[in-house]
Amino acid sequence: MRIIIIGAGQVGYHIASRLISEDKDVVIVDTNRQVLETVAESLDLETVHGSGSSPRILEQAGIRTADTLLAVTDSDEVNLIACTFSNILAPELKKVARIRNPEYTEYEDILARNLLNIDIVVNPEEEVIRSIERLMDTPGAADVNEFPDIGLKLLGIWIREDSPFAGLDLASLKRQSAMADFIVASIIRQEKLIIPSGADILKTGDLVYFVCTRESLEQFLSTFNLRGRSQHNVLIIGGGNIGYKLARRLETKKGSQVKLMDQDSQRCQFLAENLDRTIVLQGDGTDQRLLAEENVGGMDVVVSLTEDEENNILSSLLAKSMGATLTVTRINKLAYMGLMHSIGLELIVSPRLSAANSILRHVRKGAVISSLSIKEEAEALEVRAGEHSLLLHRPLKDIDLPRGVLILCLVREDTIIIPGGDSVIQPQDRVILISSNKDISKVEKALIGE
Amino acid sequence: MRLRVILQFVGFVVLLISLSMLLAVPFSLAYEDGTAGLFFGCSGMGAAAGGLLILATRSKQTVVLNHREGMAIVTLSWVAAGLTAALPFYISGAIPSFTDCLFETMSGFTTTGASILEDIEALPKGLLFWRSLTHWLGGMGIILLSLAILPFLGVGGMQLFKAEVPGPTPDKLRPRIKDTALILWTVYLLFSVLETILLYAGGMDLFNSLCHTFGTVATGGFSPKNASIGHYSSLYFHVVITVFMFLAGTNFALHYKLLQGSPGSYLKSSEFKYYVILVLAVTGILTLSLWGSSGEEAGYSLRHGVFQAVTIVTTTGYVTADYELWAPLAQVLLFICMFSGGMAGSTSGGIKTMRTLLLGKHNIRELKKLVHPRAVIPLKLDGRPVPENVLGGIWGFFLLFISLMVLAALILAGMGMDLVTSFAAAIACIGNIGPGLGDVGPADNYAGLPLAAKWVLTFCMLLGRLEIYTVIILITPEFWRK
Repeated sequence: MRIIIIGAGQVGYHIASRLISEDKDVVIVDTNRQVLETVAESLDLETVHGSGSSPRILEQAGIRTADTLLAVTDSDEVNLIACTFSNILAPELKKVARIRNPEYTEYEDILARNLLNIDIVVNPEEEVIRSIERLMDTPGAADVNEFPDIGLKLLGIWIREDSPFAGLDLASLKRQSAMADFIVASIIRQEKLIIPSGADILKTGDLVYFVCTRESLEQFLSTFNLRGRSQHNVLIIGGGNIGYKLARRLETKKGSQVKLMDQDSQRCQFLAENLDRTIVLQGDGTDQRLLAEENVGGMDVVVSLTEDEENNILSSLLAKSMGATLTVTRINKLAYMGLMHSIGLELIVSPRLSAANSILRHVRKGAVISSLSIKEEAEALEVRAGEHSLLLHRPLKDIDLPRGVLILCLVREDTIIIPGGDSVIQPQDRVILISSNKDISKVEKALIGE
Repeated sequence: MRLRVILQFVGFVVLLISLSMLLAVPFSLAYEDGTAGLFFGCSGMGAAAGGLLILATRSKQTVVLNHREGMAIVTLSWVAAGLTAALPFYISGAIPSFTDCLFETMSGFTTTGASILEDIEALPKGLLFWRSLTHWLGGMGIILLSLAILPFLGVGGMQLFKAEVPGPTPDKLRPRIKDTALILWTVYLLFSVLETILLYAGGMDLFNSLCHTFGTVATGGFSPKNASIGHYSSLYFHVVITVFMFLAGTNFALHYKLLQGSPGSYLKSSEFKYYVILVLAVTGILTLSLWGSSGEEAGYSLRHGVFQAVTIVTTTGYVTADYELWAPLAQVLLFICMFSGGMAGSTSGGIKTMRTLLLGKHNIRELKKLVHPRAVIPLKLDGRPVPENVLGGIWGFFLLFISLMVLAALILAGMGMDLVTSFAAAIACIGNIGPGLGDVGPADNYAGLPLAAKWVLTFCMLLGRLEIYTVIILITPEFWRK
């Protein structure tokens, strides 16, 4: 599978490294030669120097033999032109454009069907806002994601020192918490993925991923002692697009009390005019006195969303030390991700990571209905087995799955089945499984039946 | 620098070389020369050493190589390959001196083709086959072969690829290194099969067909015959070998594009055109010089003119005639051609036509700038601008190549060798050609050289094959600093 990526920035690099770990052929196009050289040194891919909006460069990147084009530069215009030309040069190609300007997204249907045949247009801001909301709804979870159609949640939870579950093996964990319906999907230990079995023991510092239904979420959270206060008092630092939209979303909720802080007085003017119940503050999010004045300690959630990630980290750390219960921090450089847990900031959002993840989700479309990333190491996939799939018509214990793959559950006509070795997957079933990055292409092949 | 990672890779290369020794066994058995047991023994020893090295350094972590480790791996692997391959020669006693054994195998892997054997045909056939096989393995590259067949070397493969593949900016043919390596080796294998069939069809026996094919497609020059290709008087053999030497001196990426169905790529490459013109020009002058000043007949002049021009430009080093008996013009011309080498991305040695072409273009640009001091003139190759840092790298390489050659010649002269011999031996080894002039000319060999001279030349061969930087960087203190 040959995939062309236009733009070797953070998003492009991230997508490329994920796709390569899945054994796909990647060609990356960028106008900056130095960036390309660095990328070529750390990733096993082909680089083409030039603008992705030029048809000649697209030809040079092998557009006619490619399967997918991902236009992910920072410029919407370049991305759209790249997709337009690709549409002319290779009409069969799957095209995904990264779009940041919200105006375009209102015309998503036109782009998709009438004019350009661009399959999907992505707006990461929306994705970021949704993930902030999910994190606020589920306090205590470090990562919350959802398979929307079937109402299954994927939660990542840190095992802390005081956790009653530290040192417990998974089989007895299941027995002790018989009340709640959940499945352990995977364990991330020291940034390494573990595909769990009943004998695995939970250790302090593990990030454990669970799958549970939307209905049993409450019960699950109380089992884990994670039910917090309701999240009424919110301080948002940074009134950019995301901060503004998040405030607008939150202020409509009953009983909520939202404060929005921005440095720029003109922007504050705009925000105050366009928001109803939100209190707009003009000031610096790292100003300790201002934070104290606005009673940061009494806040349920402090969300730092400015463009400047170092400032966001500082604001969150300050808010934490001043007593805020929950902080959410926006990060741009993906390299910072690994550091965050060690400095005590657990809830992270990143527009670029969100963009990369939703673009990856579109790459998979086909047999894979939706996919959720697990800490860049693995993916939880919702799939439907094709007619000729190797997964059908035999008991699970006879299916030869790669080592990094685990079938978690089946969804058959709205009921969730936790399969045993003798279960057989039916053609209409949706299968939830987890796969390490490098086994994803094998799963994809098994689904089609190659 | 993680020694464990480096040694692990070296272990794999040793294992690979040891296992490939078994390919010589059928010939040992067919000719009943009694070396089959020797090859099994040496292969077992090498495989055990390589296997132990791999076991001792194994680890579950996935490894991402950095620049320095890439260069160390490539250089050390080549040295280890030379040492491993020397085992059968040393243990059998066919070549008594260890220095000579290493010289011979290094000359093989680096596709130099310089030999210390005075009577080649006296060696058992199995050993001669192994000697030629080292050419074939080294021609397209041992590291490249490992990248193609070992599944786990994806990450950091680019570092290894760049350190081994000749040329200023090696091309990736496919997005992934493994696929690129596989393609290059497949094209190489295809040419080898084709040439073997053609030689065999012309009446050469299988053993000699294979050995000469190895020497040709790798642009090596080892022949199992004392008189090299001169042993055969058939015009057919000369033509087949000339054509394949020429093809082996061409960038293999172009051959791949031909196989993909776009033969026009040859003509689109200005380096290829330059290479063709160079070969034609040298052929023309050689032929005329033989015909005119040496008073040879026209047919002889053309036949040997073409063969000798191609064999020297592509750095193969086969000989059909003792060119030291030719006119001075022919000798000087051949000496100058030893610097050239074939195209970048081919199996040939030398400076490579890509570099000389760009240096020429650069000089023309500088001249233009003298006339129009404020002119902005980008340096272009095939319609694409060449980055200044690539050009700087080429100048650096050119300077290093010449200075190291001169330094080697100076050391050789210090051991009492004459002017012609010392310079010719130095360029013939660093340029991976093989036969030089004077005491190391086409009718002579390297056997009579002093021990120390052989070590210097062995090092030169390695320098030339890995294009200097990869090797020389390992002896700078900067490299080893943490």
